[in-house]
Parts: sequence; structure tokens; C-alpha cells
Amino acid sequence: MIMFLHQLNPTMKAVTVVILVVLLALVFDPVTPSILLFSTVLLMLVGAKVNWKRYFLYFLPFLLFSFGMFWTTLIFGKQPNSPDEVITIWTFEFPRESFIVALALALRVLSVAALSLLFIFTTNIVHFILSLIQQLKLSPRIAYGVLAGYRFLPMMKDELKIIREAYRIRGVHQATTIRGKWSQYKRYAIPLLASAIRKAERTATAMESKGFTGERNRTFLRQFTITKKDWLFLVIMLALYAAAVYTSSSLGFLKLYDGEL
Amino acid sequence: MTSLVEVQNLSLRFEFTERDILSELSFSLEQGESIMILGPSGCGKSTLTLCLNGLYPRELDGTMSGEIMINGKPTTSYKPGQLSRFVGVVFQDPETQFCMLTVEDEVAFGLENISVPREEIEERIDHALHLVNMENFKQSTISTLSGGQKQKIALACILAMKPSLLILDEPTANLDPIARMDLIQTIKQLKKEIGFSLIIIEHQLDEWTELADRCLLFNKKGSVFYDGSLRHAILSQRKEIEEEGIWLPKVVQQLLPYAGPDSSVIPLTLEEFSHEAHLWSNAQWEGNAEKNERETQDVFMECNDVSFIVNGQDILKNISITVGEQEFVAIVGANGSGKTTLSRILSGLQRPTNGTVLLHDKALHNWSETELRKEIGYVFQNPEHQFIMNSVYDEIAFSLQMKGIREIEIQQRVGRILEHFGLTDYSNEHPYALSQGQKRRLSIGAMIVDEQKMLILDEPTFGQDASTNEEMMRMLDARYRTGTGIVMITHDMDLAHTYAERIIVLYKGMVVADCTPAELWQQPIEVLQEWGIDLPIQVKIQRLCEKEDHDYVLAST
Repeated sequence: MIMFLHQLNPTMKAVTVVILVVLLALVFDPVTPSILLFSTVLLMLVGAKVNWKRYFLYFLPFLLFSFGMFWTTLIFGKQPNSPDEVITIWTFEFPRESFIVALALALRVLSVAALSLLFIFTTNIVHFILSLIQQLKLSPRIAYGVLAGYRFLPMMKDELKIIREAYRIRGVHQATTIRGKWSQYKRYAIPLLASAIRKAERTATAMESKGFTGERNRTFLRQFTITKKDWLFLVIMLALYAAAVYTSSSLGFLKLYDGEL
Repeated sequence: MTSLVEVQNLSLRFEFTERDILSELSFSLEQGESIMILGPSGCGKSTLTLCLNGLYPRELDGTMSGEIMINGKPTTSYKPGQLSRFVGVVFQDPETQFCMLTVEDEVAFGLENISVPREEIEERIDHALHLVNMENFKQSTISTLSGGQKQKIALACILAMKPSLLILDEPTANLDPIARMDLIQTIKQLKKEIGFSLIIIEHQLDEWTELADRCLLFNKKGSVFYDGSLRHAILSQRKEIEEEGIWLPKVVQQLLPYAGPDSSVIPLTLEEFSHEAHLWSNAQWEGNAEKNERETQDVFMECNDVSFIVNGQDILKNISITVGEQEFVAIVGANGSGKTTLSRILSGLQRPTNGTVLLHDKALHNWSETELRKEIGYVFQNPEHQFIMNSVYDEIAFSLQMKGIREIEIQQRVGRILEHFGLTDYSNEHPYALSQGQKRRLSIGAMIVDEQKMLILDEPTFGQDASTNEEMMRMLDARYRTGTGIVMITHDMDLAHTYAERIIVLYKGMVVADCTPAELWQQPIEVLQEWGIDLPIQVKIQRLCEKEDHDYVLAST
């Protein structure tokens, strides 16, 4: 059970997460997303092996963003229809309606974040791409291209560092203005691209000489199938959503999304 | 029985080029036979590789004529990807041969391509990794492996596909000497066990020679001018080999000047030489190139107790060295011993965690960047990284222009450098459009136009072919003779032996030896091996001869 989320089919997991995000977008109240947020994190606790420190670090920017949204909506949101109903926090008074809209927005951001992190923290990127080929019929040509490119990123980072040093050695001063920096990066781009193209070409040659054709008729060491577990996950998530919506409506908060900001 | 490979009148020309890269090429290869392909840079050896594995003409921008038969069928009649079952290639660059993240997935990749059933894939991966002694790395991430390990994985990927022909396209060019020997040993062993056919393309052919049954010599025009045994070629084709700039095994290079025109045998390896060293007793072993003689030495740079720590790991530990004015110093050591880091600290690119670096008794970080660059130049491993401008001329003129020197003087100085480095005809070309050797020359030329007092070079011979290296060393040596100090990181002990006044050996981040080459070679062989150092060929030959004399004396008394 502990690794339940890791064992799911990556594509199905992604689809489930996307469905949930869309469903979340349909409603606009603070209760539904908060229940979902809570249960998503709970699910991670029960069904995943997570480095919580890292998890929190990833969550942090979303927290800041959602707090910012909460605050700006609260202060600068459109005039409420019934300004007389107020909520008091720390001796500050806010119109109840604005407060609920702001809270709904902020929680929505957080629960989408939690859902995305559920996917990111329990999925191996390579497995996800391989599963996309197998379940969603993604072209192997594109899929393996992306994988090869993925390997290039750290290489390009190292190379950029070397190029910068080479410029320094030649007596090019580090730019200080933004415009100067921009034109400097434009200059770095040429050697960086030249070597990236050459590397890509070599990789492509190596791949082709190992018999890669980009066609679909291939076998897989890692076979991904959709099992009962995956449907179970989808059902669990939908049930959570339904329960959240039901709770929200019984508390009288439920509202369909109508373009509010 | 049909030959495994049959090439007839193969000619190939790339689009927008004036001449054929391969012309009227014919040769054949039997099942289980091994050949070595030798030729100057740019003679189309690597192009031939792509013809043999069927990528050309399918992916070729250009024209190809003639016929290539694999197993009696023309390559063009195979479906894309199908030839990979018969022909496998290990390429030069260990960084760009992979598309997956882990070893297991990468080996599986080729097998998946040719639709090997899943159950069998597992089995074949284990077997292939076993063949190259990398079983313990099955789950490893490829980017954490060393260059030598990566090449072994590349080899395993190919072996898993069980090709009948293995093409090695300079697989050791980017490896250090120890990893190189290891890979060659592995291949020799496998050849014995499995018995595939082999095509070896290499610039540095020492150690490969005993593997090859035959050799093909290519000329600059891309056709074969000799097909037969290497031993015979060295004697009968001596003039052509020299003219084409084909590199011979190091032992041969050393002995050839003493071989009479009627010599019937010449040893290709040290092993062979050791049996017949007495035949060469008349040879006068060339001493080292003359090095600047000096009585006292002024200190140019000084490192005091320098350490460098990254993520709690000691890369360099308490390094204290000096570099004299106008001195030629080689820094050697195994991969990961901290050579590059030391060179970056010496050049001021990197500040040490602890300790100080003094240049003319003034701490390096107190020098202004502009002043510092007048003192020290730094040449990077990959010449392209250094190019800033759009033409060869501007590239060299760049640092002079930065200094605000008068245009007329710039023209003169750039002109001199262009001529000296044989680049006058290319002054309007884009630096990227030059050949490998020209790029290397330009990168050094652009650096030394400033006339710094010292030049630091980070493995300038890495991934370059032999003739480029020789040419480059001649230039550096000329510079050194006119008073430029040189600090060179290298794996090549022959270079260090020939040119350096002093060798500094790094081992696990510490200086373990700092002495003249002659003194270094006196160290016990086990110690040198532990440090990752191989004796230079000259020293090896001399030792064998001395041993021979010694044995002779013993026998006769």
C-alpha cells in the first residue's frame, strides 16, 4: 500500500490529475478545494514515499503565490453585492463575500498545486514518456527525442559556464546592465547552439545505428499497462471530489464558476 | 562463401563540396576477420562507417555511387534499422551516444528497436553487461559514469544486439591512458570469446596492432592505396605513409629512423621489441628536445597551501607549488585527481577555498582582470568555446582591439600570427568553418597574440588527432623558446617527457611528485601505476635495451 501512488500507470495518473483539475475549475467555493487539498496531501502521506522537505520546498512558491492572490483579491476585488456582511480578522473587517472569493481562489491554486505535486513526486519521467508511447500512442520519434534532449540539459549548463569563463579569459568584461547582459547571452548562444546541434546530430546517428527508426513496431523492456489499480485511483479521486462537492453544497457554499476573479 | 562486407567502387560526395570524400573505394572483409583503417584526418574514415551501417545513402545530403554488400546483399536493400542486427558501431564521443538515463534502459533501447521479445531483453542485458564487466552498474545513471565506463556501456549496447561486424570509430580518442588500455583489453578479450569481425578506426594504433589481420591505408583523396599487413606496409609504403601523414605505432616511430632500407622486420609493439632488442643496439636513442637551461629561476607564480572543497569533498588538498619564469611545467595525474581545478585556480578563474596564489608576490585576487590577462593566458580543452568573433582575423585581433592599440599595429601583429599559424588564407573564414587542427591553432594564436608571460593549457591534445597534436606542440615549443612560460595539463607522458622541464603529479588532490621527468621515471613502477602514469615509450625502449645489455653481460661472464 505504501507505494500505491508510485505503482500506478503514469499516463492514467496524469489523466486522472488532469480530470480533477478540470473538475476543480468548474466550482468556485472555498470548501471543495480545501477538502481536496487536504485529501490529496493525506493520500501522499498514505500511498507515497516522499522526501517531505523537498515536497515542502516545491510547495513554497505556490503558497506564496496563493497568499498573494488571496490578499490582492481581498483588497482590490470588485465591490461586493452585500457590503454589510463582514468578517473580522485581527480587528480588521472585510466584506464576507470578498473574503470567500479570495479564499476560494487561493485554495484553488493550492489544491491544483497539490495534485500536480502528487504526480511529479510519484512519477519517473522516463516511465511517463514510455507510458505515453504505449498508452497514448505518442510517436517514438518524438518521445525518444525528448528523452535524449533531457540528457542534454545538464551538459548545456556546464558548457555555458565554460563559455563564460572563456570570454572572461579573452578580456570581455562581465556585463552589468540588463541590456549588456542580454547582448552577452546572445553571443553565448552561438557557440552553445553550435555545439548542441553537433551533439544532437551525433546522438541521432548513434540512435539510428542502433536500429532506431522512429516507428511504432518495437518491444519494450518496461511494459506499462492499465490495471484495476489505475481505475481504482480514478474512482477514489472522483469519489473524493463528489464528497467535497456534496459537503460544500450541504454547508451552502457551493457555487459554479462564473468567471470571477 | 560470400564475404561479410564487400565494397566496390564506392564514391561519395557531400552537397556543396568540391571533391569526393570517398573515391573509388574497394575492399572486402571476411567473416571473423579484423582490419584496421588508417589515414589522415578528413580522409572519410568516419563517413565510411555510416555507409557500412546503412545510414548513408538514406540520410546523406549528397551523392553516393558504387556498391556496398553486407552478407551478399546491398545495404540499400535492407529496411531502415535492419542492418543494426549485423553491424554495430562504437563512436568516439562517450557523451553523445546515449538517449536514455540509466544503463539498463540504454542497453535495452537497441534491443527494443529490433523487437527482441521482452523476456529475452532482460537476459541479453545481463549477458552484455557481464561481457564488459559492468554488471554492477545495471541500475546506474549514465551521467555519473566516467568516460571509460561510458564507452564500455556503449560497447555493451552493441554487443547485446549480437552483430557480426563491430566497427570501432576512434572509441578511445576521448579517454585517458588507463581507461584506454582497459577498453582495449576488454575488446581483445571479447574478440577471442565471441569472434566477431572488427573494423578499427584509430589514430593512436599502439596496442591495437596485434588485433588486426590486415590494414587499409587511405590517402587524402579518400581511396585505399594499400591493403595488406601493417608490418609490410611500414617497410614498403614508407614514403607514402609519411606523405599522407599517417600515424604509426609509437615503437615504430622510434625505431624507423634506424631501420635500414633492407630491414625485413620491424617490431610493432613493445612486446615484440623486447624479444629482439639486441638487433637495435646500434641505434642512438635521441635525447630529449633541448630545454632552456637555467641556473637560477625567478618565481613567477606561487601556490601556498591551496585547498579547494566542493560539497564537503576535497578536490585539492594543501597544494604548495611554484612555477618559475619561462618554465615548461606539465601537470599529470589520473582523471579526477584535480588537474583541471588546479589549472583554473592558477589562472584565476576559480578562487581556492583556502590558501593563497601569488603572482609576482601579489595575491591573485588583488590583480585587476585586465592586468591579470596580460600575464596569464588560458587555452581551453575545446577550441570552439573560445571563439567570440565572426572571422579568423577578428578573432585574433579581438584582444588587441580591446586594449585600444592602433589599427596599423594590430594589422601587423595579427598578420604575423596568421602567418606563423598557417592561417593567412583563412583570415576571412568563420572560426567554426575551420578544420579541427586549424581551430586548435586559432585558439592558441588568439590567446598568445597578447604575448602573455605564461600560458596555461587544459589538455590541449584531448580528442585531437595525432598530426594536429604534433603541430601544436611544435608551436608551443617555439613559443617557449622565446620566453613564454607554459603550464600544460596532459595525459600524454610522451609529450611531458619530450617537452616539460618539470612534471607535477597530482593524486587524489595532492601533489605527490614535483620533479624533472627523468627523476619521475625513476619511481617504482607500481607507484607510477597507482598514480595513473604510464612510462613514456622512449623510456620503455631504453629500459628494454639496457636490460638486454645487462642480460648479455650476465650471460657472457
